[in-house]
Amino acid sequence: MKTLPPFHLHRPKSLEEATRALAEHAGECRVIAGGTDLVVNLRDRIDIPEHVVSVGAIDELQGIDRDPASSLRLGALSTIREISMHRDIRKRFPVLARAAESVSGPTLRAMGTLGGNLCLDTRCHWFNQSFEWRRGCGFCLKKDGDICHVAKSSSICVATSCGDLAPALLTLGATVTLVSARGSRELALDEFYVDDGTHKFVLEPDEILTEVRVPAAAAGRRGFFGKLRARAAIDYPLASVAVSGSIDGEGRFENTSIALSAIGPRPVLLDAVSELVNGRAADEETIRGAAEIVYRAANPLKTGGLYSPGYRRLRTRLYARDGLREIAGLKVDERP
Amino acid sequence: MSTPDPSHTSPTSIADDETRLDVAGRSTPLCDSRERVSGKLEFVEDLRFPGMLCGKFLRSPHAHARIVSVDVTAAREILGVHAIITGKDTTRRYGVLPIGQDETAIAVDKVRYVGQEVAAVAAVDEEAAERAIEAIDVEYEVLPSYVDAQSALDADGPPIHEDRPRNIEKEYHHVFGDPEAGFEEAKVVVEDTFFHPRVTHAAIEPHGTIARYDGAGRYTLWSATQAPRHVQRGVAKALDVAESSIRVIPTAVGGGFGGKSEAFPQDVASALLARITGRPIRFVLSREEVFFLHRGRPESHVRMRLGMAADGRVTAVGCETIQDGGAFCSYGVVTILYSGALIAAIYDLKNIRFDGYRVITNKPACGPMRGHGTIGSRHAFEVLFDRAAVALDLDPLQARTRNLLHPGARTVNDLRITSYGYPECLTRVAEASDWRSKRGKLPRGRGIGLGSSHYVSGASNSILRGKFPHTTVVLQCERDGSVKLFTGAVDLGQGSDTAQAIVVGQALGLDAGQVQVIAGDTGLTPVDLGTYASRVTFMAGNAALEAARRMAAKILARVARDVGIFEDELELRAENVVSRRDGRVLLSFTEAVRLCVQDEGALVTKGSYWPPSDARGGKFRGGGVGPGVSYSYAVQAVEVEVDEETGEVSIERIWAAHDCGRALNPLAVRGQIEGSVWMGLAQAISEEQQFTDDGRCLNARLLEYKMPTTVDSPAIESIIVESRDPEGPFGAKEVGEGSLGAIIPALTNAIYDAVGVWICDLPITPERVLAALAERDDASAPRRRPRQPTVPRHEGSSTPQTLDDLTR
Repeated sequence: MKTLPPFHLHRPKSLEEATRALAEHAGECRVIAGGTDLVVNLRDRIDIPEHVVSVGAIDELQGIDRDPASSLRLGALSTIREISMHRDIRKRFPVLARAAESVSGPTLRAMGTLGGNLCLDTRCHWFNQSFEWRRGCGFCLKKDGDICHVAKSSSICVATSCGDLAPALLTLGATVTLVSARGSRELALDEFYVDDGTHKFVLEPDEILTEVRVPAAAAGRRGFFGKLRARAAIDYPLASVAVSGSIDGEGRFENTSIALSAIGPRPVLLDAVSELVNGRAADEETIRGAAEIVYRAANPLKTGGLYSPGYRRLRTRLYARDGLREIAGLKVDERP
Repeated sequence: MSTPDPSHTSPTSIADDETRLDVAGRSTPLCDSRERVSGKLEFVEDLRFPGMLCGKFLRSPHAHARIVSVDVTAAREILGVHAIITGKDTTRRYGVLPIGQDETAIAVDKVRYVGQEVAAVAAVDEEAAERAIEAIDVEYEVLPSYVDAQSALDADGPPIHEDRPRNIEKEYHHVFGDPEAGFEEAKVVVEDTFFHPRVTHAAIEPHGTIARYDGAGRYTLWSATQAPRHVQRGVAKALDVAESSIRVIPTAVGGGFGGKSEAFPQDVASALLARITGRPIRFVLSREEVFFLHRGRPESHVRMRLGMAADGRVTAVGCETIQDGGAFCSYGVVTILYSGALIAAIYDLKNIRFDGYRVITNKPACGPMRGHGTIGSRHAFEVLFDRAAVALDLDPLQARTRNLLHPGARTVNDLRITSYGYPECLTRVAEASDWRSKRGKLPRGRGIGLGSSHYVSGASNSILRGKFPHTTVVLQCERDGSVKLFTGAVDLGQGSDTAQAIVVGQALGLDAGQVQVIAGDTGLTPVDLGTYASRVTFMAGNAALEAARRMAAKILARVARDVGIFEDELELRAENVVSRRDGRVLLSFTEAVRLCVQDEGALVTKGSYWPPSDARGGKFRGGGVGPGVSYSYAVQAVEVEVDEETGEVSIERIWAAHDCGRALNPLAVRGQIEGSVWMGLAQAISEEQQFTDDGRCLNARLLEYKMPTTVDSPAIESIIVESRDPEGPFGAKEVGEGSLGAIIPALTNAIYDAVGVWICDLPITPERVLAALAERDDASAPRRRPRQPTVPRHEGSSTPQTLDDLTR
C-alpha cells in the first residue's frame, strides 16, 4: 500500500455545489463519504481520480425518516451503525437492520455510509492487492490489464459485489435517487446494478446517489440475513442471502423475496423465488423448491476467501431454507 | 543414554520451596500496561529525529530470476532522493545461524522470492521514496521457480542456492532405540499424513528500524526486535564493522511471536543509508512487506506411524517431516531439528525414528514462530495416539498415563527432565472438563477431545559458540532506595520486564513496582541472547535472582556491621531490614542502601546464567538442538459441536492446564495460556497463506489472512499447574509457548468424538469437515487431501531415507 495519490479535494456545502463539481470533472472524479472503501483503493492505486468530492457536510444527504407515505427514507450519508441501531428499522425492516449489523466491525460501521456501501467497488483477490503486486502478474481486466486471472476466457470482469445492504434493500423493493446537475432520477435498486465487475452500476460519472426509499408496503415484513464468512467480524461476505416476507391468513407466503450478494458481480433479486412461493403454502415442500432455485442461481467464482465456490453455493441453499423457515415461523429442526 | 552427573548441575540451581513468597505469586499488572493501553508507548513508527529520511525498498516481482542490471540513474534525479543502494553495496552475507549465512540485505545477482529486496532508497518523505522506487529500472532473466516442496525436490533447473544443489537446506535421520522391534511389539500400528499450511505471526506492529550514524564509525539503531544482540551481530557482519560500533536500542515491541528474532534487511539498509547520507533513516514496513519478511511457520507435511501395545504404551514412533522453508535458512535448521527431537519430551518413548527435510523454495523465508518446530509433530502424535487408543478400546486420557516420564528421567534422545507436571495437567483437565462423563457419551454432533503439548524452557545451547553465559543481569541501587535492573532481554508485551522485577522484588523484600527495568539496549545492558525459545523468565530470572541475592548479602553485611548483629540474623522484608529472630525493623531498605552508597558509591551486583552441562544433549549430529534446560507441559480439552449439514464446528469451551513450574505472576501466566490457545486455534481453524502458482502470496493482508477476531474467541478456562522446577527462579519455567500445540490435536480428536471422522489437514474448514463426512458415509467418495511429497533418492546413498525404510 502506498501513500495517498495527489488529488484536488472538493468540500461542497450543498448538493447543488457537489453536482456542479461532479459535472465539471466528470470521469475524473470520485465521491468520498466515510472513506472506508475508497481510501484503501486509492492507496492501492486501484483508483487514481484527479478530483475527490467529499460530501460529508451536505445536509440533504443526511437523515433517516418516515416520509408522508409512511415509507422509509434513508439519506445516503446514514452510517451503517445508525441503520443497524435505528429503532424503527429494527422493528419494521428487520432484514435491513440485520444486514447492517453484520457489516465489518464497530469502527467501520461508524464510518461507513449507506451510499458508500451500495456503491462499494467489486472485489477479487487478483485485484485488491498493492500496485506492485498487480503489476507483477500483468494486471487484469478490471484495471490496467487485458486478462481475467479467475476466468481466463472471460471478456468481462467477474469481481464480486460484496455489499451487505444491497440484498436486504432489494428484498424490500427499495429505490435509489440519483442526482446530477442535469436533474434527478429515481430507479429501482435492482436496476441500479450491472452484471459486470468493472462497470458495476448505471450511475453516470456526474451523478451522485442521494437517498434510498423503502416503500410503505415493505414495512413489517419478517427478515432474515445469512452471511457466510470465515470470521464473525471484519470479513466481507463469501455469500449472503437476504430474505424478507410475510405469511397471510391462510398460512401462505406473501410478499416474500430473496436476494443474494457476494456470488457474482452484482447483487441478485430472485424473482423466480417470489413467483414460486407467494401464494403457496409456507411449508417444507415450498421452501425446498425455493432453496433449489437459489442454489441454481448462485454460481460464484474463485475470487477470494477461504472457502471454495462449491461450498459458498451450498451455503446459499441452506441460508435460503433457514430464512424461509424463519419467515414461515417453522421450527428449525433439531439436529439428529 | 548417559546418566546425570550431579556435579554438573547448574551453579545457580535454586530449589526454594522454603521461601515464603509474597511478591512472586501475586497477580501483578505488567509494568508498562498503563502506557500500552493508553497509546503512550513509543514504537518505531512514533519516533522522529531531526533531518530523518524515509527508507523504502524496491522488491522483486519474480519468484526466481537473475538480475541482469539495475539502473538507478533516473531515480537519483528525483527531487528529494538522497541515496540509493543496490545489491552491489550489500554483498556481505549474514544469517542468524552460523551455518545459515545465506542472506544479503539486498539481492545480489539473483532474486529468490516475490518481494525480495532489490534496491533501497532514502528520500525526504514517503512520496519521494515511492517515486524513486518507481523510477528504478531492473532487467531480470526469469528462471524456473519452485513454490512448493515437491517441485523444489524435483527441480532440474538451476537450484535456488548454488551450494544446495538438491534444494535441501538440511536433512536429518535419527534413530533412537529399535523402532522396528517396537513396531513388532505393538498390538496396533496407525499411520497417516498431516498437512500444515504456512502461517504467520501477524504481530500487530509491523517491523521497523531507525538508524543514525555519528560520522565517526558508530551506528545507533532503534529497532522493533526480540533479539537486539542478533541484530547487532548481523548488521556488524553485513557492514564489516566491529559489533561494538553498532548500538541497538529496542523500542517498545508490538508483539513478536518469533517474527522479530534476527537482523533484517531494513536493519542493514538503514545503517548503510545513514552512513551514506549522514541523516537518520527510518524504515517501517507495510503489512504486505511483513508477509514478505515472514519467518513464520513453514508449510509442512508430516507422515507419522505409531505403534501401541494393548495396555496403551507407545512402542514405537516413526516420523517423516518435510518442511517448505522458503528461500533462506533463517532459524530453519532449528525448526526441523525441534520437530524431531521434541517428539520425545512428553512421553516415555523408547523407540523413535525421525527423518526430517528442510526444503528450500522460492517463497519468503520461514523461521521461528511460537511453539517453534513442535506444532506439526504434536498434531500428528496426539491424533494418532487417540486413533490407536480407539482401536484398542482404551480411554485416550487413561492411555496417556501409561506413557509417563518422571522428574530426573532422561529421554531416549538424551533430553533431561527436571520437573514434570504433566500428570497433574491431565488430572486437572479431566476434572474441570468432566471428561469421564463426556468422552464417547455426548449426543451425536457433540464431542470432547484432548491434546497435549510442551515446550523448552530456554534452549540449553546457544546459537553463538563459546562458553559465555546465556544472560547476565546487573542491579544497581540508588541513594533513594530505588533499584535499577539492567537486562539484555526485551519485553515484547508478554511481561518479561515485570517477571524479572518480581524476582528481584521478592529477593529484596520490595514491591515489584520499585524495580525499574532497563532492557535490551546493547549500549547499556549486558549480553542476553534474545527473547525467544521461552528463555527469559527462566534464564534472565535466574540471573536476576543471583544478582539480587548478592545485593541482599551486600546490604545485610553492611547493616550487620552497623547495628552489631550477625548478618544471618537479618533479612530484607517489606521494604525494611528486619531481625529474623523477632521481626524487629532495624532500618528501612532505603537507609540501608544509603549506608552502602556512603561507603563505596554505586551499589552494583550482577548475576549470570549458564545452562548446566548435563542439559546440553546427546553427542549425535544435530543433538545439540532440542535440549531445553527444562520443559513446560500443557494439556487441553475442548468440547465442540459439529453441524453435519454445514460442516461448521463451534467450540463450546476449552480447558487448558499448563505446568509453568511456579506462577511468578498468575495474571501474566493466564494471559499467556489464553493467548497460546487462541493462536493455536487460529492455525487450526482458519489461518493459511495462499500462493499463486508463480509464488505470489494472495492474502498478504490482515483482511484476507484469516486471523480470528475477539468475537470469534471461545471461553477458555486456564488452569495453572505448579510443579516447582528445581532449577527455575523460585521454581518457575516457561509459559509463553507450550500451550499452543495442544489445541490443534484436541480439536481434531473432539471432532472425531462428535462425528467419527479424523481431519488431519489444516485449517479445519467446514469444507474439510463435509468432505470427511462424505467419505465416512460413502467409502467410494474419498476426500481429496494434500499429498506427502516424495524425496528423490540421491545416488550412492545406502542409509535409510524415509519412513518407508522401516519394515514392520
